[in-house]
Amino acid sequence: MSETHITEPAAPTGGFTGDPAAALTVAGTGGCCGNPPAATLALPEPAAAEAPCCGTAAEATAAGSCCGGTAKADALAAGQSCCG
Amino acid sequence: MTATVSGERMAATVAALAGDEFAGRRVGSAGGAAARAWLARRLAEAGAEVTLEPFAVPNVPEVYAPPAAQWSDGEHGRHLAFGREVAVHLASADQPLVRSGPLAVAGAGDPAGRWLVVPAGTTPPGVNGALGLLMGRGVDADGWQYTMLAGPEPGPLPILTLDTATHAAVLRAAEAGTGRFAGNAPIRRIDVRAANVHGRWRAPSGGPDLLLTAHYDGVGDHPGLRQPAAADNASGVAVVLEAATVLAEALPGDVGLAVALLDGEEAGALGSAHHAGRLRAAGAAPIVINVDGAGHLHEAAAVEAGGPARALLAALDQAGRHTGLPLVAGPVASDNRRYAAAGFAAVGIGAGMAGYHSPADMPDRVETATLEAVARLTVATVMTYTSSLIGDRR
Repeated sequence: MSETHITEPAAPTGGFTGDPAAALTVAGTGGCCGNPPAATLALPEPAAAEAPCCGTAAEATAAGSCCGGTAKADALAAGQSCCG
Repeated sequence: MTATVSGERMAATVAALAGDEFAGRRVGSAGGAAARAWLARRLAEAGAEVTLEPFAVPNVPEVYAPPAAQWSDGEHGRHLAFGREVAVHLASADQPLVRSGPLAVAGAGDPAGRWLVVPAGTTPPGVNGALGLLMGRGVDADGWQYTMLAGPEPGPLPILTLDTATHAAVLRAAEAGTGRFAGNAPIRRIDVRAANVHGRWRAPSGGPDLLLTAHYDGVGDHPGLRQPAAADNASGVAVVLEAATVLAEALPGDVGLAVALLDGEEAGALGSAHHAGRLRAAGAAPIVINVDGAGHLHEAAAVEAGGPARALLAALDQAGRHTGLPLVAGPVASDNRRYAAAGFAAVGIGAGMAGYHSPADMPDRVETATLEAVARLTVATVMTYTSSLIGDRR
């Protein structure tokens, strides 16, 4: 669920409030399987576990997918998206 | 310049892509192919040279019939509504026929011949001979269990997910030893062909090569359950088409301009993976702006960047100030990550969506004002970025 965190508060006017380069270091960017909105990710998941999102880069490569197979299985079994 | 975008035109694009004809645009489906042809025509009408980039996608999950599910606590029976109360888990085996048997708690007693209710927070133990598994799952604000295509490979058993309240009630019946369950799990895996749709207005001639991207595929309709995929991501497609049309008239002649409307994002960002690999092999160096969701702005649009994108981010920041759109650094887990991983400067913009991957992702929930705001931001970003580079060269 770490991907739901926003690293900067909403700006009162246009543009970034802080350093735009913060967008280069968004937490939990290891996957690429869809972009659930924060409201959806916050759903109560009765089977939720602290599963990693999409695993390591090596796992992803081995799986031929953006997500490592084991991490995906864990996340999906927990009712999450594989990147959620 | 940025005021020339048309919210009405973008809303019409969203409505068209979300229509019955395209059936939710799942990768490899007839609806997806029809949407692809429609988009190719739109790009050609806008003056782009259009090409298709086919690729294979294996093992796409497809629920081919509504699951039939009912349960009883020993006194009262109840049918479960597909999509809200019951859905088929991606790890489920295909089980077309209804299996009926007593309920039991997974991990307690002999599983043979029973439907096993998996308590929250537990992993199913040995389940040899069980009829299937019943797992709990939350629902969204509209009461839907949202659909995913990317996930684990199927296992040996049928697996159904029950909404939280139903799961709790079924678990109580299992614990009491009085419950029965009957259900099937009609899900199969199919190998399909997908295709990205590319439109190029002009190649770069000394200037940067701008690439605007958005995925056009959705998770697709289920039998009897439309999933229009309006915000995710007809809205992004509408923004990209609109911005490219405006930019084609406005950009300096040495700046390259292309659009990639991507397939297979919902199956794991496969279209962008394929495209990024080809670009890298060709020695290209595009500047990528990806739009994933421009339907429901809440306070600010999320921006995620990767690759050598500092100059692009600076332009985006300036464009946000110019257009009045607040931006926050936040996850945009979409095709932009594939381009960034290939070493290209890439940003993803996500301006929110309602009804994620569910029947509630309807065109009437896509805000025209959000479409306009993101289109203006995209146009202004590109103009700012190219202007700064031109200034650098002088």
